[in-house]
Amino acid sequence: MIVPPIGGLGGGLAVSPAEGLAQSSQSSGGVAAGGEAGSFGGQLTEAISSLEQTQNNASAASQALATGNVSNPEAAVVTVEDAQLSMELASQLRNKATEAVTNIFNTQA
Amino acid sequence: MGLFDAIGIAGSGLTADRIRMDVTAENLANAQTTKAANGKPYQRQEVQLAQVGARNFGGALSNALAQSGPKPGGVQVTGIVADNSPDQQVYDPGNPEANAKGYVLMPNVSTVTEMTDMISESQSYQSDVTAMQTAKSMFTSTLGLLK
Repeated sequence: MIVPPIGGLGGGLAVSPAEGLAQSSQSSGGVAAGGEAGSFGGQLTEAISSLEQTQNNASAASQALATGNVSNPEAAVVTVEDAQLSMELASQLRNKATEAVTNIFNTQA
Repeated sequence: MGLFDAIGIAGSGLTADRIRMDVTAENLANAQTTKAANGKPYQRQEVQLAQVGARNFGGALSNALAQSGPKPGGVQVTGIVADNSPDQQVYDPGNPEANAKGYVLMPNVSTVTEMTDMISESQSYQSDVTAMQTAKSMFTSTLGLLK
């Protein structure tokens, strides 16, 4: 399956082979557990860890908002939106990948 | 440029407008305050806004080296400064703050100005909310292509 590069994914998910991965692997010290740098598995690992980070940020922001420890409610809203949109993007990509695999399985039928 | 920069930029606008609203509320609340922290009549406060990265030397240098313009980063509040226009003199001989001629120095706050500022802040906040919603719906409709 050829995954076309998606440009400019620096902020949320790092999926682009050229730009996104180089940026995110620099920031995380170049740890790519899913395989060598530039491989699809490595990118996926980076993307998922980035997703987890945005979810953690959103969870911390919601907690701060609920306990009244937040001085900037707009920033909390932006963090939660970021997490929600990142999660939507990831789940759509996951659905697409699952669909592709299902299609391959269906060639037997 | 990240995916969700537009949302972050709109968020910075929301923060700036909220601070402007805070300062307007402070001005209105102290419109009759003859004793501020320094013992003088309250001075009207104003918010200074700057584009993010506009005055930052490091940002300007890296932009010059990369031969690109400043990236959109939103707005930030660089300070809250006092309005130095003269205090109003109100004739009120019965006031304990009155001088020998019966005049009281009142703050340089004009309620009408503050009210019009408040309209501008409210509209600006609304437009930032709209920008954020539009950015979000644009991204969501892009995601819809995957379905």
